[in-house]
Amino acid sequence: MLVENRAGGERALFLLILLEIAIFAYTGPNFLSAANAFEVVRLGAELGLIALALTPVIVTGGIDLSVGSMMGFCAVAFGYLWRDAHLPIAAAAGCTLLAGILGGALNALAITRFNAPPLIVTLATYSLFRGMAEGLTRGVDNFSKFPPDFLYLGQGYIGGVVPAQAPVFAGFVLFYWLLLHRTTRGRAFRAIGFASEGARWAGIPVNRRLALAYTLSGFTAAVASLIYVAHLGQARADAGTGFELLAITAVVLGGADILGGRGSIWGTMLGLAAIVVLQNGLRVSAFPAELAGILTSAILVVAIAAGRRTKRTAHVTVPQENEEDDMKNSQLAVLSAVIIAGSVIVAASNWWLVQSVTGKTPAVPFAAPSGPTAATKAPHRPTIAIMPKAKGDPYFVSCRLGAEKAAQELGIDLIWDGPTDLDPAKQNEVVEAWITRGVDAIAVAVVNAPGISTVLRKARAKGIKVLTWDADALEDARDYFVNQATPQGIGDTLADEANRILKGKGDFAIITGALTAANQNEWIKFIKARTAAKYPGLKLLTIRPSDDDRNRAFSEAQTLMKVYPKMQLLMAISAPAVPGASEAVKQSGRDDVKVTGLSLPNMCKPYVEAGVASSVVLWNTLDLGYLVVNASKQAVEGTLKPGVTSIDGGRLGKINIEGTQVVLGKPLVFTKANIGQYDF
Amino acid sequence: MTRRILAIGGLWAVLLIILAIQAPDFFAPANLRDMAVTNAPALVVAIGMTLVILSGEIDVSVGSQFAVLSVTAGILAKSGLPLPAVAALTALAGALLGGTNGLLVTGLGIPSIVATLAAMAFWREFLRWTTQGAWIQGLPSTFQWMGLTQAQGEIAIVSSAVLLFAVVAWTMSNLQLGRAVYAVGSRHESARLAGIPVSGITFGVFALMGTFTALAAFLDSVRFSQVQPSAGMGLELKAISAVVIGGTSITGGKGSLWGTLMGVVVLAAIAPALTFLGVNAFWEKAIQGTIILAAVVLERSASKGGPHAR
Repeated sequence: MLVENRAGGERALFLLILLEIAIFAYTGPNFLSAANAFEVVRLGAELGLIALALTPVIVTGGIDLSVGSMMGFCAVAFGYLWRDAHLPIAAAAGCTLLAGILGGALNALAITRFNAPPLIVTLATYSLFRGMAEGLTRGVDNFSKFPPDFLYLGQGYIGGVVPAQAPVFAGFVLFYWLLLHRTTRGRAFRAIGFASEGARWAGIPVNRRLALAYTLSGFTAAVASLIYVAHLGQARADAGTGFELLAITAVVLGGADILGGRGSIWGTMLGLAAIVVLQNGLRVSAFPAELAGILTSAILVVAIAAGRRTKRTAHVTVPQENEEDDMKNSQLAVLSAVIIAGSVIVAASNWWLVQSVTGKTPAVPFAAPSGPTAATKAPHRPTIAIMPKAKGDPYFVSCRLGAEKAAQELGIDLIWDGPTDLDPAKQNEVVEAWITRGVDAIAVAVVNAPGISTVLRKARAKGIKVLTWDADALEDARDYFVNQATPQGIGDTLADEANRILKGKGDFAIITGALTAANQNEWIKFIKARTAAKYPGLKLLTIRPSDDDRNRAFSEAQTLMKVYPKMQLLMAISAPAVPGASEAVKQSGRDDVKVTGLSLPNMCKPYVEAGVASSVVLWNTLDLGYLVVNASKQAVEGTLKPGVTSIDGGRLGKINIEGTQVVLGKPLVFTKANIGQYDF
Repeated sequence: MTRRILAIGGLWAVLLIILAIQAPDFFAPANLRDMAVTNAPALVVAIGMTLVILSGEIDVSVGSQFAVLSVTAGILAKSGLPLPAVAALTALAGALLGGTNGLLVTGLGIPSIVATLAAMAFWREFLRWTTQGAWIQGLPSTFQWMGLTQAQGEIAIVSSAVLLFAVVAWTMSNLQLGRAVYAVGSRHESARLAGIPVSGITFGVFALMGTFTALAAFLDSVRFSQVQPSAGMGLELKAISAVVIGGTSITGGKGSLWGTLMGVVVLAAIAPALTFLGVNAFWEKAIQGTIILAAVVLERSASKGGPHAR
């Protein structure tokens, strides 16, 4: 009976994937091509390995939340062993796999030896592994320039078609399938998942089998991290962030019971395919990235609910319960309907109110042009695809407003999409999707230069004009870089501001975004260099993270003011951190502490006007968005070409071109005197 | 449970002694007050999470709910409603969000970790999609500190959290309703045979979790004059960690709110304490993970091995 149910669930999942393919084949240009199919495999490999690793764990009724963090730790360990310990690449890889096994063994030890619940143990190691990765690299360091032979594993194509990681992945699928479905160990996992005590009485060495599942999980995460590093060409502490949740979703979607006892490799692969195809299809169709999360969760709920329903009706045989159940069911159905309707009302009113309150237009869900209509428009409207570093970031939101204005003025089709959080791997995936879709120009605000350059080169080879903005890729990977201000320009301006506010002497502290944020770390480097060289009276006390959270910045600022009572300046270099730090200073009532930093004028206006924040540094983000679209259009039309020294920037006037850099100008310094003139 | 409290208490005492020697300013009243105000909303969420975990379930969607409800509170306040109405409507919205989770779990029989995992992704992405990261600005001047002075507002925030704690703690140990939550968490089938409406209790606990999250979002938002839609990132992990450090069994049925209170206090103190001690921020996550792991291992090391369970 169970087998039948499982097959039913898998059939439904299979139909779902077919449905996704059918829809995206219609909405996404070139979605249905062999090249795209292989791309999907490439994108699925790392997540797939993690999902494979989690399948036996979940079948035993356990869970492993530490796999994503383990990837971060392994990536850093690998980079460290290769670059700093000078091991050959193979030896470094070998040691990394060993580290993965040890990490998995640590989980296994705590779970079997101390009988601690897996959820808590792996919650702890989730923090521990990521923390070790951040500690080892001090958040800043990252490792790149790996030899091409190694990068081939993540970027190469066997015979020019098949992605190099595909065979590795296939090998692991086979291995896990054999383990789970063709060995006594696989049966033992199931038995433990159904009833661990029963399994023990039946003579199964429960602890040893559990240890195997968790250790394998660590090992497989290490393999995934190697492929991830080869794919992006860079090893950083943030590798694999969030993979655990997506992988668990894939496994559970594939019909595994989160409570243990049920689950199959075939199901996990179907669940994985459903997620990866959905993500890829949405991107190729230029639908907003946020839909991926929304739809995945909806599918998950429906799939599990359907599965549970059939299972329950198949199992419940106690007769006297039925009547009561029926009655309860009808009541529940009514109650469900009411509550779900209520949630929908909350959601819809929220949406409507947000629209009316913000008075902005960006939330139009399907603003992006859909393929067929765009194609029928006469004669040729260039399609320009622009990617921010992270979509929800207020900084990029205001860039988008400028870009949309330019798109209207200049008569182009604009696709604005990207990851919803800082994620180098997802940026690559979006670019891949745009290449598949076939756009005229791509402009990317780069999170990870070595990581994205391979795919940008591929886009150029296909005749797409490639620009970068906000942060550059490797120089040979793009045609032009729209440069709003160099990291040095920003660092220098901030240091100059600190000097001006402190009048040449005093202590200051920096509140940054995430400790691993590459941008901020670059700025800090130049701030330090400038103060060391020019302003000997300034002393940098410490650097604290805010994780781009206003509230965290607030708490950090509060603590800093108490730990360093003589500190006179807080420099917050992440957009939400400036209002956070300013609010802390305001609430403390201390007027000897000032705030400066890098942020958007609108969210800082109350504090600048009240004199809490002395100044805010930024360039005009509306102009930046405008210029990116303008320059992209001119690159497509050929008015921006090598040898040109200036272009017509529309409302921005004449824009200088220096080599391959389109220069916006110097950063603005907003103070009490001028902040009222800006609205973004 | 007592062993864990002893273990954590021991670790905690060591930290306090180091702090007292190295950085006595940590105990300055102003610092303690700021820590209390900042963490009052986290305590409110942790109270709800304790009930959820005691009933044998889990809710990983509270961080996303917190963000949605913060924005809800901001929008309602901006529309000009009086603040008590804003608080009440936000709480209602929270009950609906929590109730939806409850229905997914009790009505559709989806395991709570899966149901709330889906809710977590859904609400976070939904909010990103609709707000596009835009902050709610230009709130009425009475929004911050609920129209009181800063000192009064701070007292109001902390005392609301403490009052809620007292009421729930008393209910849990003295009323039948509280005992029913323990019973459901210990063993569904026995609770059902004992005449306890298992589905009703589970549903109620989730709805309450949503309501508490709404209250926390409200208390947190009124500390500021603008609302950020990315609030509550990682709040679920913080709340679950606090409950677990406080000795509540993740499988349900065992634990207490007093333990949770201690868990919240320990977690609240770690980050500021490390700053006071001048420890580099890069090691913070590793230290936090070690503390949780140590707590679990210390507590389990001598206890008789129960059945392998989550």
